[in-house]
Amino acid sequence: MAVYLITGATSDVGRALIRRVLGTQDLVIAQGMGDLFLLEEISAANPGQIIPYDLDLTAPGAVEGFLAEIAEKYPVPTHFVHLPALRVVNAKFKNFDEERFLMDLNVQVMSAVKICKAILPRMAKAKYGRVLFIQTSYTIGAPPKNTAAYVMAKSAIGGLVKSLAVEYARFGVTVNCVAPSMMETRFLTDTPDLVVQASAADNPMGRNARVEDVVPAMAFLLSEEARFITGVTLPVTGGSAIE
Amino acid sequence: MDKNQILDAVQTIFRDNFDDDTLVITPDTTAQDIEDWDSLEQINLLTAMEKKFGIKFKLEDVRNLNNVGDILDLIARLSA
Repeated sequence: MAVYLITGATSDVGRALIRRVLGTQDLVIAQGMGDLFLLEEISAANPGQIIPYDLDLTAPGAVEGFLAEIAEKYPVPTHFVHLPALRVVNAKFKNFDEERFLMDLNVQVMSAVKICKAILPRMAKAKYGRVLFIQTSYTIGAPPKNTAAYVMAKSAIGGLVKSLAVEYARFGVTVNCVAPSMMETRFLTDTPDLVVQASAADNPMGRNARVEDVVPAMAFLLSEEARFITGVTLPVTGGSAIE
Repeated sequence: MDKNQILDAVQTIFRDNFDDDTLVITPDTTAQDIEDWDSLEQINLLTAMEKKFGIKFKLEDVRNLNNVGDILDLIARLSA
């Protein structure tokens, strides 16, 4: 039996991932924020297996309370997948306020630090764990201009992943990332069509990434057989960013 | 909106985007004339123009723009 803790589970990627990996005995502790209705269909199809939590990961004390509750009620997660991110803002560096940097850090990074601190030692004790983050192809090579806050937070995720990977490798816990190029999901709601189209046209495969391109790569890194792969960022880019 | 009005509005967009209140553009202005004008800035400019003029550019329309004049013509055509 696997116990998945998925933050940002209501996203297009989160829901597709649940559909892909959920076994009949598995549980998913699924965090969303004000959009848990998006999990209703999956919950109805898998009665009792999806445990939704409506939670603002940046609210003071919220993550701590959530972690205490799931520690008390459910078995140790075998898998932790961290998906939340703020939508990308296209702004010149000097026009970014510091608050935005902090928000990106809090939503993506500090929430992950808190959750990892609570979960990884328990995974280590259980001698098993799969931890997975979603990065971005923007952190491979030169990033596009005007996305400083997003790229900074995603790069911090990359540093966290590498550090945790080496620290927990001895305990059967792997920590990895996938790094998709621009992916056509609800996440792009604030991105102008022209930007999305130009990204597709510039991609060597002539299109943007889709959820169904990325989720199988995630499922692989979460699988039992990916046991010797840790600390990596797997690009899923159609060749648009190559390390 | 006539060509001059479009040029004025486009100039405001250029000034905002490149953060330079003294920037003066003409139909002959090209990316060579403005240091920071690269492909990404061009998309930012075009996106701001879409908003301002209530139009939608297609990628194939904007791939062969050579100067500000081409942009003005395109805007005039799409907002006609």
